[in-house]
Amino acid sequence: MNRFDARFDARFDSLVVRAQRLLVCSIGLAMIALAGIALAGNARGAADTQSAGAFSNQVDLSPLDSVAVQTEGRLKSFSSFAQSQMAYVSGPRRINGQSPAFTYLDMLLRGEAYKDADVIFVKGTTVRAPIADVLVRVDPSLSQRMNSFMSTGLISPSLLSRPEVEPVLDALQSDLLRTAKAMDAVRAARTVMTPEFLLDRLRVVPAAAIDPNQRWSSMRDLMMLAADDPSAAKVAGINTDPIVGIDEGSQRAAAAAWKSLVEGWTNGDVAATNQALSQLASTLRAMNPSMYPDASRLQWESWYFANGNLVWIWLVYALSVILLLLGLVYRWRRATLMGLAVFGAAFLMQTAALALRWWISSRWPNSNMFEAVTTAVWFGGCVAVLLEVVFRGRAAAGMFALASGCASAIALMAAHFLPVQLNAQISNMMPVLHDVWLYIHTNVIIFSYCLIFMAAVSAVMYLVYRVCGGPAVFARVGGTGALEVVGASALRGEKLGEVLDGVTMLLMKLAFVLLWTGIVMGAIWADHSWGRPWGWDPKEVFALNTFVVFAVLVHVRYRVKDKGFWTAVLAVIGAAVMLFNWIVINFIITGLHSYA
Amino acid sequence: MIRVVNAIYDLFSSVRFGIVLLVLLFIFMSVGSAGIVYPVHPNLFHPDAWVHQQMRQWRAFEMTEFEWFHWWPFNALIAMIATTLVVTTLRRIPFRVVNLGVWTIHTGVIVLIVGSFIYFQTKVEGDAPVARRKVVLTVQGVEGTVELLAAMGATATIGSGDSAMTIEVAEIDPEWELRSGSDAGDLSYSVKLLVTTATDRFIRQLIANHPQYTEDILFTDDPAQPMKRAIKERGQALVESRLTASLDYESQQYFYVRNDLTKAWALYLRSKGSAMWIERPMEGVPLYNDSISSHGDVFESPSTTAAPLHPMHVLVPAVAANDPCADVTFSIDGYLRYAQTKTRLLSGGAQSPFAPAASIEVRGAEGAQTTYQLMAFDPERSSGDGGLIRMVALTSEEQLAKLQGVSQIRCVIPAANIDVIEPVRLPAEGDQDAFMPIGGAESGYGFRVIAAQDELPIGGKTTSVLIIELKTPTTTIRRWVFDEPSLTRDVPANDGGHGAPIPPDPSVQVEYQRGAGRAILTLAVGPGENQLRIVTAVGNTAAKVQSVSVDESITLPAGLSLRVTSYLPRARIETRPVAVPESQRIRDARELFAQVLVNVPGSSSRWMEFSPYAVDDARFALRRHPYHPSTVTLADGREIELLFSRRRIPLNTDIALEEFVLTSHEGGYTGEGGSIRDYTSLVRFRDASTGGEWSDPTAVSVNSPIEHNGLWYFQAQWDPPEPASQQDRGSRGLNYTVLGVGNRRGVQTQLAGCIIAVMGMLYAFYVKPVIIRRRTARAKAVAVSRPVQANAAVQS
Repeated sequence: MNRFDARFDARFDSLVVRAQRLLVCSIGLAMIALAGIALAGNARGAADTQSAGAFSNQVDLSPLDSVAVQTEGRLKSFSSFAQSQMAYVSGPRRINGQSPAFTYLDMLLRGEAYKDADVIFVKGTTVRAPIADVLVRVDPSLSQRMNSFMSTGLISPSLLSRPEVEPVLDALQSDLLRTAKAMDAVRAARTVMTPEFLLDRLRVVPAAAIDPNQRWSSMRDLMMLAADDPSAAKVAGINTDPIVGIDEGSQRAAAAAWKSLVEGWTNGDVAATNQALSQLASTLRAMNPSMYPDASRLQWESWYFANGNLVWIWLVYALSVILLLLGLVYRWRRATLMGLAVFGAAFLMQTAALALRWWISSRWPNSNMFEAVTTAVWFGGCVAVLLEVVFRGRAAAGMFALASGCASAIALMAAHFLPVQLNAQISNMMPVLHDVWLYIHTNVIIFSYCLIFMAAVSAVMYLVYRVCGGPAVFARVGGTGALEVVGASALRGEKLGEVLDGVTMLLMKLAFVLLWTGIVMGAIWADHSWGRPWGWDPKEVFALNTFVVFAVLVHVRYRVKDKGFWTAVLAVIGAAVMLFNWIVINFIITGLHSYA
Repeated sequence: MIRVVNAIYDLFSSVRFGIVLLVLLFIFMSVGSAGIVYPVHPNLFHPDAWVHQQMRQWRAFEMTEFEWFHWWPFNALIAMIATTLVVTTLRRIPFRVVNLGVWTIHTGVIVLIVGSFIYFQTKVEGDAPVARRKVVLTVQGVEGTVELLAAMGATATIGSGDSAMTIEVAEIDPEWELRSGSDAGDLSYSVKLLVTTATDRFIRQLIANHPQYTEDILFTDDPAQPMKRAIKERGQALVESRLTASLDYESQQYFYVRNDLTKAWALYLRSKGSAMWIERPMEGVPLYNDSISSHGDVFESPSTTAAPLHPMHVLVPAVAANDPCADVTFSIDGYLRYAQTKTRLLSGGAQSPFAPAASIEVRGAEGAQTTYQLMAFDPERSSGDGGLIRMVALTSEEQLAKLQGVSQIRCVIPAANIDVIEPVRLPAEGDQDAFMPIGGAESGYGFRVIAAQDELPIGGKTTSVLIIELKTPTTTIRRWVFDEPSLTRDVPANDGGHGAPIPPDPSVQVEYQRGAGRAILTLAVGPGENQLRIVTAVGNTAAKVQSVSVDESITLPAGLSLRVTSYLPRARIETRPVAVPESQRIRDARELFAQVLVNVPGSSSRWMEFSPYAVDDARFALRRHPYHPSTVTLADGREIELLFSRRRIPLNTDIALEEFVLTSHEGGYTGEGGSIRDYTSLVRFRDASTGGEWSDPTAVSVNSPIEHNGLWYFQAQWDPPEPASQQDRGSRGLNYTVLGVGNRRGVQTQLAGCIIAVMGMLYAFYVKPVIIRRRTARAKAVAVSRPVQANAAVQS
């Protein structure tokens, strides 16, 4: 082969590599774009219906963002309160694309309009099917509507009230094992959507006293102050006198604002409604400013919930994963750097989201499933950032971000697509969770779970590397040795396998120690909370089982020849047991830990 | 022989064997905790193709989680792991600086295993209910004291005949605000007793820790102020000085072993009339699987196929020295995990006595349907829905007339020569003055009804009373007319009837003839054995009588319809349990609905429902905690009371509940779970260590237990408020607490082991690599000068 040929070959090679890069890049970007369109499509679909209902589009509910409501032992912003209440009715679905705040007021003020609207969410096809069957049988014209009920789960109260449906609902209610819970939710939905309930729950009138145990009053308690003829209310048992302790003038002003809101809303008068809304918001705050929560906190809370708890950050993480993979597979340094930058940005956004939630709920977010999952991957992000700094310029650069990016993208995506299972509402913790060990034990455990997942990501990459023909190598000196190798050239050939195994081992060791410590801390808490450090509760057992898998890993690694392979296999099994514990045990086999 | 020992020695020093043991441990724990899943359908994607089952709960195993994890295979596995750990460490891992980590980890694990052995060997765990107060009653002239729990509806009758006094706990306010003296504004625990004597009815209020505020409250006729304090009305705090009532701690001396950790069934027994329950452990009674010896033991629903029989026969011999019938061995011949007791009416045959019974189906306007099983002669089964529907047997047509009759009074006025019967009409609202004329308007006599109360329980029997005002030409008399004429008396207006009885003015004599009473529907049998008639009194119309036959549907006013689905003139009642289908069981009910079939030698066997606590008697049963004792007669005629419950262990102290505090989040307790912040029991102990006196109150709250005499007390359950309903008058709650009780020997050893292991892990993972790297670097440096030896150094 002459020199020209060699040069041509080299050029050709690099051309091929570039073409490949281009292809993968465009596939990745197309995926992101698709996801983006899918999300935007949701929003557009909503916007369309809004323009159809000009009123819902033009009403400006933003003054309500800074109105506080007392509910279930908390003060929430009206928007987040409305969202939690509407979730009882329509579950994860939005009604007509309206904001929950709008739907709340509309159901309250024009309840009749929702009698035949498909607004009640029924969970599970095993519950939907018999209801749909009986309705189609008695009224075949409903078959179209029942098809959409089967897929969306939304049905109208009037259909549920049909006499033919009643025996079906009774039968579903009597099956305590499978369907009673879903029927309880339906019954709750029907109660919540009644105007009386919505009005009673509208506890927006701040208590007169500084005593935090004082319950706030509902709009119902003072609205009659503006009534032309309060005598009718007296018969219905509605309070017609001013509430003791609060300035009567502002009570009358609030009642008047409420009255004009009711009139404006029911008449579809946008200008009057908007004026009444802002007046109502300001009079409520003025009633007892010292008891009233900070306006900016309430607005941020509304913003946080209006923006889907910022779980869309998964898209940014996904982008960073694609870039980092490109960098890894094609040894494309610029992609790795870009990937790291995007990862950094995503991590900052997630940190901001976490901090915001912390501030809004005034406690570290680790007390429900949503918080556990999102906080866990945030810990992973912290570790990744730290290790990327430590191993900057080394062969392992980008790997930790890649592992953490995968974990975060999947976790936040789960939170986005499974809003029922990973409920993002902020509510009070059960008394048993009020303990310093909640913050220690839970965080250590979820931290270790995230590390286990990240270790599984690098283990899977190692297995892919082996499947693609990589030699049976492993990291020496307990794993970290391989990570010391300087320079991107190390990623070539067998060094890549060593680095991947090293990353797995590094993360696995951290997870091993943290998991053990976390289990022990849980035992310390259980000892003084439940009266026994170890109760063979399924969740405990499977945390221990996860640890046993890693104990097996450590000893197998000590014994076998093909250390890298078995380490990777067992790391993946360990992650599978961990996920089994988090998903199957939590949602199917419930035990004492069922609140988290 | 030595070769065998050596082989075993080698086996236990093999890492491979250790790994096998760890894998076995993994499998054992997974199966015991999560259960197993297996396909039952060839199409594996069919939604019902997979079955999930808890293997440990199978009949062959019958184990709780605790029992599975303390079963001998598990213990053996742990023992082998410990042995392997020790042998391998000693034999295979040289005790050098680099190996310090693994030595430490293995030591930690061994310490943990030893600690756990101590812990689980001595572990006891259970729960102790502690009620807040009991009411101690004494009545002058009646010997002894009577005690009842301060719980809504607890009732006691003291004395007999005319001097009998019925005391019922009518209202409990756990947050009663004191209004007098230096205590004004403080919250305390108030109990109001409804005291009914032959002549009087009043409320006695007791306030915990403030006996000086005990006082009586009287009923008045004034609708604006229906109750008045006796001190204001009569100038004395107590109107009934014979009765002394006070509140005292209701101390608990036992805790009941948790049955879902390790099965701990027990049969309690005592001689009839004795207060002390004697425990007999029931070893071998299952927890999860129903066992019946014959299909006749239970009612089986016709829709399901008969469950296979699993005969059981567990002997329950006496163990305690003071067992009341040590010579008698009971046996348990059946067990149902989750059952309901049902009664069915069966035909007794032509020879059995006349005992009419019927099933009646009532359908409401909206399609709601209720079925009643009524027996005319059984006072507990002769009526349903609080007396709205009833069944009576008639011996004459006259009685039928009485049933359909409206309430009426017979007035005899000798002076005016009047003897008339007038229907009773209750006054319309706001219509105060209308007197109904007696014997024509010109007579000058009239009456008006102030109130009517039918079927008042007074002195152990029911009476009806009509309060009327009588107008004579000269005066107005207020009279309480009872259907039992001897009780009828006149009362001064506004006295409330609490003065001494005034004999009725003989110039006007009134008799009260009560009509149909409260019952809207009456099924009347007789006089002929198969003659059925329905008497309806719906609305204000006069009662209507219709003949009815079995399975005939009858339309009633207000959209109701009625059908007698079966009628048995000679019925007997059969009571048996029905196993509740799996899908209808409340998931966290635990053993609350369990039943055992107790075989009493020399008598028939009987099903007994589970009672969580062996309290002294029904007056001490806690709300939401059923209490089902049962009396049996032994072959020799002795009467023995039995109770099916759990084993209990003495606390070695008395424990009392001073106060139960519910703290809440923003906005107070609203009934929503989210508004509760914490539960706190303030408890007091009394034993030798406290000098025989009640100790100062100590707080037990969630996550903060206390220790006393080696036992730990945890906040476990509470008594939530419940609104009143048709069957129940509700409760404001906070009347008792349930404390978790347990010991924790060996916990420190366990913790030490865990911490040692953590230190070992840190060393092995983060110190050892540094040491090795330094050695390697040093070896490399040496290798530069002496290349041959360097290789050897790296190898090590």
